[in-house]
Amino acid sequence: MTTFIELLLNGVSMGSVYALIALGFVVIFKATEVVNFAHASLLLAGGYVTAVLHEDIGFWPALIVGIAGAALVGAAIEFLVMRRYRGKDHSVLAIATIGVDILLVTDLTRRIGTDVLAVGDPWGDSLLEIGPVTIAHTRIAAFLAAGLLITAFLLAFRYTSWGVAMRAAAENAETAALMGIRLGRVSLGAWAVAGGLAAVAALFLTVFPTPGLERATSLAALKAFPAAILGGLDSTTGALVGGLIVGVTESLATGYQSDLTFLGRGLGELAPYLVMVAILLVRPAGLFGTKELARV
Amino acid sequence: MTTARAHRRKATAAAIAAVLAIAGAAGCSSKAKDKDDGKAGAGGVKTGVGVTDKTIKLGALTDMTGVYATLGKSVTQAQQLYVKQTNAAGGICGRKLELTVRDHGYDPQKAVAGYTELEPEVLGFAQFIGSPFVASVKQRIDADKPLVLPQAWSASLLGSPYVRVLGSTYDIETINAIDFLMKEKGVKKGDKIGHVYFEGDYGENALSGSKYMAEQNDLTVVEQKIKPTDNDMTAQVAALKKAGVKAIVISAGPRQAASLVGVAAAGGMKVPIIGNNSAYAPQLLATQAAPALEAMYFVSTPSLPIGDDAEGPSKLAGDYAAAYPKDALDNGVVAGWTAATTMGEALKRACESKDLTREGVDKALLTIKDWDAGFGVHNFTDPNAPSSLESVIIKPDKAAKGGSSVVREAEVSEAAQGFKRS
Amino acid sequence: MSDVLTKPAPEVPPVAPKRKLPGPRLYVWIAGCVLLIVLPFYLERFWLQAGLFAMAAAIGAIGLNLLTGATGQLSMGHAFFLAVGAYGYCAFAGNGDDGLTGLGLPTGIAMILGVGLAGIAGGVFSPIAGRLRGAYLGIATLALIFIGQHVLFNAHDLTGGFNGRDVPSLNLFGLHFDDSELLVAGVPFGASEKLWYLGLVLLAAGGLFARGVLRGRPGRAMNAIRDHQIAAGVMGVPVARYRASVFVLSSMYAGLAGVLLAMVFQRTVPEYFGMVLSLEYLAMIVIGGLGSVSGAVVGAVFVSLLPQILTRYSDSLPLVSDAGTGGVSPGEAAKYLYGAALVAVVLFLPGGLVRLAARRSKATPGEPSGSEGNDR
Repeated sequence: MTTFIELLLNGVSMGSVYALIALGFVVIFKATEVVNFAHASLLLAGGYVTAVLHEDIGFWPALIVGIAGAALVGAAIEFLVMRRYRGKDHSVLAIATIGVDILLVTDLTRRIGTDVLAVGDPWGDSLLEIGPVTIAHTRIAAFLAAGLLITAFLLAFRYTSWGVAMRAAAENAETAALMGIRLGRVSLGAWAVAGGLAAVAALFLTVFPTPGLERATSLAALKAFPAAILGGLDSTTGALVGGLIVGVTESLATGYQSDLTFLGRGLGELAPYLVMVAILLVRPAGLFGTKELARV
Repeated sequence: MTTARAHRRKATAAAIAAVLAIAGAAGCSSKAKDKDDGKAGAGGVKTGVGVTDKTIKLGALTDMTGVYATLGKSVTQAQQLYVKQTNAAGGICGRKLELTVRDHGYDPQKAVAGYTELEPEVLGFAQFIGSPFVASVKQRIDADKPLVLPQAWSASLLGSPYVRVLGSTYDIETINAIDFLMKEKGVKKGDKIGHVYFEGDYGENALSGSKYMAEQNDLTVVEQKIKPTDNDMTAQVAALKKAGVKAIVISAGPRQAASLVGVAAAGGMKVPIIGNNSAYAPQLLATQAAPALEAMYFVSTPSLPIGDDAEGPSKLAGDYAAAYPKDALDNGVVAGWTAATTMGEALKRACESKDLTREGVDKALLTIKDWDAGFGVHNFTDPNAPSSLESVIIKPDKAAKGGSSVVREAEVSEAAQGFKRS
Repeated sequence: MSDVLTKPAPEVPPVAPKRKLPGPRLYVWIAGCVLLIVLPFYLERFWLQAGLFAMAAAIGAIGLNLLTGATGQLSMGHAFFLAVGAYGYCAFAGNGDDGLTGLGLPTGIAMILGVGLAGIAGGVFSPIAGRLRGAYLGIATLALIFIGQHVLFNAHDLTGGFNGRDVPSLNLFGLHFDDSELLVAGVPFGASEKLWYLGLVLLAAGGLFARGVLRGRPGRAMNAIRDHQIAAGVMGVPVARYRASVFVLSSMYAGLAGVLLAMVFQRTVPEYFGMVLSLEYLAMIVIGGLGSVSGAVVGAVFVSLLPQILTRYSDSLPLVSDAGTGGVSPGEAAKYLYGAALVAVVLFLPGGLVRLAARRSKATPGEPSGSEGNDR
C-alpha cells in the first residue's frame, strides 16, 4: 500500500509536469491549429539557459531568464516560420515544426555535448516523510508550481483580454479578425506562453531524482503528446487531466512491472500510448475535446 | 505540362545523370576483380588491404552525436592520441598509422554504410561502437576478415576470430561485482538483490551474470528493466525497496545510476549499489547526486581507472589532459587506448612475422598472451573467450583524477572462472 | 532514379492537352535508364548501398505520399509498417536454424507475404485510423511506433530481440541475391549489385502503380477527401472505404520498403524502426513534394543521400570538420541541412523540390498540391 501511494504521488507530480508541457501544446493548437512538434526544443532551450546561468546569477534569476528565453524562442519560431507560411494545410506546417525541432535540438545538444548540467535548484535531494510514505521536495514543488501556473493560466484564459481574444480566435479565426482581434498577436502570445511553460517543465524534469540536464531531456516532450491528445487537443482542462493520466499510468506501469511480466518488461514508456489509443477508440476527440462539427 | 517545362526537366535530369556517371566512373575506375592480397611491400613484408609502403590505414566506427556520444568521444580522442604518439615515434613497421573516423550517431543505416565505406580501405577497425551494428555486419566481417575491436563488452560478440572483445564481458563483470558484494559488502546466501538493467544487449548480458550468481549462491534477483530514455529511478527504487533487496546492481547509463543512487540515498535505503563500467561517468560528480555516489556506489570495470597511480594510467592521463585540456578524463579514454594499443601490438607482431595482411594480423593477435597494456592483462589466444576475466572494483571519488579510485584490485572471482555460457 | 525524375508530375490532370516532342524526351529516358543499369559496373559498394537505401526509402515514401500527401492523412507510424515488412519477411523465409521462428517458405513468396502482412497490419489499424482526423490521427499513429519497439525488443522468439535477426537472402528463379560472387562482364556482382536491379524493378513497378492510382479515378477521389472530406462524401466518394484502402495500400508500400531494406542490411535491428525514421519519411515527402510519385522519390533521394555524402566528403567540405576534431561533425551538419531544408521548402517552395523546375519554366499555377489543400 505504501508503495502504491508513493507511486501514485510520484505519478501525480510527474503528471503535473507533463500537464505543463501538454498545456503549451494545447495553447498553440487552439491559437493556430498547428501541432507543434518543436516542443522538445523549447523544453531543452529553457532548461539549457537556466543550467548555464545559475552559477553566475543564482538559481531564481536564472530560472526567470530561462523562462523568458524559451518564451522568446517560441515567439521567434512563430514570427520567423509560422507567420511566413502561405498555405492552408496545418499538417504541412506541423511537419515544418519537425524541421525547426531538428535544427534547434541539434544545436542545443551540440552545445550541451557530453555534459550533465546541474540546474542548481534549492530543493536538493531532501524528502518529506508522512508516516511510511516519502516523497521528494522537488516533486512537491513541481506539483505546486504546475498547479499554480495552470490555475493562473486558466484564470487568464477566462478573464483577461488576451484570453478572450485567444478563445475568440480558436472559435472562429475569421470572425475574430473581423471583430478587430489581431490574430498575429494571439498566436505570438500562444507560442511565447508555451515556451515559458516548457521551460518550467524542463526545470522539474532535470532536478532530483534525475541527475541534470543533458541531451536526452528533450525526449520527455514525447510524453506530452499522448497527454494532450487523450485530454483533447483543444481543451486546457484536457491537457491537465491528460498529463495526470499519463504520469500516473507511467509510474504505476513501471512500479508494478514485475507483476506484469507477461506483457514484456519496460512497459512504462508504452503504457501511456496504450491508454491513449484505448481512449481514442471510445472518444475520437479525446476526453474533453470538442467534437468537430462539420461546416460545409 | 508544356513542352518547355518538360524539356527543362529532362535536361536537368540528364545533367544530373551525367554528373553521376562521371563521378561514378572517376570514383572507381575499374571494379574488375583484382585482389592485392599477398603482395610483398617494403621491407619484405606481405601486405594487403589498407597497407601501403608508407601507411597503415585503420578505421573507427564511432558514435559522437548519438546516445553513446560520451563514450565515443573519449574513445576516439584516445585513439587519435595513440596514433599521433606512435607516428611521432616512427610508426609501426616503418609505416605511419592513419585512423579514419566515421560517426554513425547510433543509427544502424549509417553504421552499416560506414562499414561498407571503410572496409575496402582499412586493415582493421580499432573501434566499433554499438553491438547490434557489429552483429548486423558480422557475416560480412567473417567474409572480409578485418580485425574489429568493438567498444562493447557483450558476450554475444564472442566467438568470431575477427571480432575480439577487450577485457571482461558484462556477464563476467557482473559476476565479479556480485562476488565483491558478497565478500566485502555483507550480502549473504538467501538474500535478495535488485538488478536494474537496460533493455538490449548490455543489460541483458549483465543480467545473465547476476542470474548465474543467484543460482550459485541461492540469491534471488529482483529484475527492473528500463530504457535509455528513463531518467527517473523513483519507481524502480520503490519497487526494490518493497521487495527488500540487500544490494542493487545497475547495468544502465551514468544518468540512471546517478538517479538510482540519489533516490535510494535520499529515501534512507542504505544498500550498496554497484554498476557496470558503462554505468559511471566522472561528469556525475558535478551533479547533486555526488555525495551519495561517493558514499554508496561502486563500479566494476575491466581495467584500472585512469586516475590510478600505476605507470600506464598516470602517463595516459597526463598526455590526454595535455592533448584535450577541455575534456573529461573517463574510462572511455582507457577503453580507447587499450583497443588502440592492442591493435598496435598485433600490428607489431604481424610485422615481425612479415605478414601485414588481414590474415597476418588476425594470426598475430592469437599469439598475444598474458600481455599487459598498462591497465590490465589480456589474453587473446581464444576467440571464444573475452581477453580477460578480471574486474577492478572502483568507487567515485571527487579527489581522484578521473573521478574514481580503486577499492579492490584486479581479480578474477572463482565464480567467474567457473562460468559457462549457455 | 533519375528516370523517375523524367516522368511527368502526376498532379497534371490526365485530360490536359499534351503536345510533346517525342525525340528529346525519349532520348533522356533511354539515357537515364542506361545510366541506372550500368552504374553497378562502376560504382563501389558504398554508393550502391547508399543508392539502395534511397530506393527503399523512395518506395516507402511513395506509400506515405499516397496517404499523407494525396489523401491528407497524417501518419507518424510509417516506420512500424516497415518493421512489419522486414521482420515478416524474415519470419516467413527463415528456416529456424538460428532458433527463431521461421516458416522456411521460398523467399520470393516470403517477400510477397511480408508485404501482405504489412497490409494486414494497416488493415487492422484502419478502424482506429478511420475514426480519427488530422493531428489526432498523427499522434495516434505515433503509438504504433512505441508498440512496435516494445514488441521488437520483447518478442524474442520472433524478432531476435535487441540484436535483431539475420535476413535470409532472396533467391529468385535460381538467382541468389547474396554475396556469392557472380561474374558479369568481368565485374564481380555481390549482394549490392544484384539487389540494385531488384530495387530498380521494385521502385519502377511501385512508382508506376502509384502513378496509375493517383492519375485515375481513385487519385481524384483521394485528393477530394484531402481537400474537403465532407464535400467529397456529398459528391459520392465512399470516404471511409477510400481512407481505409489508402491506409492499407500505404502500409504495403512501407512493407515492401522494409523487405528491401532488410535485404540490404542483411540483418534487421529494432533500433532502426524508431520514431526518427517515421519523421524522416514525413520530411522526404514534404521536401520532395506532397502528393506525387516524383516528389516522394526526389525527397527520398535527398534525405537519404545527404548524410552519406556529407560524411564521405567531410574532409574536403568547408565548415564541416572530421569526426573527433571538435567542430560541426558531418552528422550534425546533415541534420542542420535537412532541418533547414524542411522549413525552407514549406515556406518558400510549397510543392517541394519537384516544383522547382516546373515553376521556373512556367508561371501558371498547377493543380492544388497538398500544401494548398484545405484540411477541413
